[in-house]
Amino acid sequence: MHRLIEFIKRIYVLVIFLLVEGVALWTYASSSPYTEAKILSRTTAVGGAISNTIGSVEHFFSLPETNRMLTARVAELSEQLEAVGGGEYSRVDTLAQGMSERTGGHFRYHEARVVSLTTNRLRNSIILDKGSADGIAKDMGVVTPKNELVGYVVLCSDHYCVVQPMLSVEFSTGGRLVDNGHVCMIIWSGQSQYRVEAKDLSVYSEPHEGMVVEVRSERLPEGVVIGTIEEYELNSAKSAYSAVVNIAADMSRLDNVLIVENTHYGELQELQTQLEVNR
Amino acid sequence: MTLMLLFLQIFILDELSIALWLRPMLFPLIVLLLPMEWRTIWVMLIALAVGMVMDLAQGGSGLYTATLLPLAIMRSSILFITTRRSVEAGDQSSLFSRLSMRLMMIYVGAMLLVHHALFFILERLSFAMPGMLILTIVCSALLSLIIAWPIVRFLGSKIHNK
Repeated sequence: MHRLIEFIKRIYVLVIFLLVEGVALWTYASSSPYTEAKILSRTTAVGGAISNTIGSVEHFFSLPETNRMLTARVAELSEQLEAVGGGEYSRVDTLAQGMSERTGGHFRYHEARVVSLTTNRLRNSIILDKGSADGIAKDMGVVTPKNELVGYVVLCSDHYCVVQPMLSVEFSTGGRLVDNGHVCMIIWSGQSQYRVEAKDLSVYSEPHEGMVVEVRSERLPEGVVIGTIEEYELNSAKSAYSAVVNIAADMSRLDNVLIVENTHYGELQELQTQLEVNR
Repeated sequence: MTLMLLFLQIFILDELSIALWLRPMLFPLIVLLLPMEWRTIWVMLIALAVGMVMDLAQGGSGLYTATLLPLAIMRSSILFITTRRSVEAGDQSSLFSRLSMRLMMIYVGAMLLVHHALFFILERLSFAMPGMLILTIVCSALLSLIIAWPIVRFLGSKIHNK
């Protein structure tokens, strides 16, 4: 105890300095959007680099497990290859290339790894290890390898990008009920990290438990799953349904993800701008 | 003295628009010229008060405080680096009274340079035009030192007379 008091006596000036300096810097950083963006991008880059290093170490130690899984997967695929007759599938495509081909050309997939992520805030974010130098741009969609929605890219540096996941109160995207095609708006209220809300569902949509909801957005191809309906209710005016949707992707255990690029997105944006101008 | 320096900074120097790269700042002198024998915590509290006054007066939102506080911590190290003098424990005599005017100005110049570098880097938060940034830091620190010269001289003579 005596030593502890001595230690505190020795460092209290430094501790007070760090505290007061931290408060002053924080006040300055949040004083204008410019300082906020500049300091955020610097701290994100530093934080990203640190998390990336830690992640690489963790990744290194998990290599035996990854090897075991890959070996099992190779064996399984070899069996499938044999079953379909060999030659036709002799080229081993990466998951990203395979998915690019499956979606018919104008969607391109980029593999990325999660550097850091948060799930316990109202405005959560995910940092990925791909940036503008790898062809990543704002508004690209992010999905899991199982084609489940994660979020959209909102910010890019040269080697990293920040994703706004579904678990952000600022997130919104279009949704569609797979069974009958009725559209809705997907938002997150911040109450549970496993559920989002589907709003403005038509009264004719007849939602029911277990119904699959997928993304309807020009940023992503068809078939990207958001989740399944857990409960639903008609609003008091009886004009629309709202539903609670169980998120398909496990947002707290993301590691490898795919960034989806719509090569026609610029064209679509231009059309939208023209439409706005003509109005 | 403190009030005079604050008045000079807020109502005269900050109102001058000589050039974008020439912005003299004298208020760090309040922290630099406090007796070296003072404990760091008291110097830090005074730096905090001066920084807050400047932030309120100039709308700095913490910028002045954030750049003035490190000076309180670095004072004795920079004094040792520039003049090879250190404050001995239990030394009650004024260290400044034992410094020659030349050494005093070297110490003040080094501290002003550190402060101006911190201030302009934090204000811009960008290294897009490094030449312009370095020019602003060096020229502003130099002009501050020139303006500070008679003030330091006057204070020095007062200390020596005691």
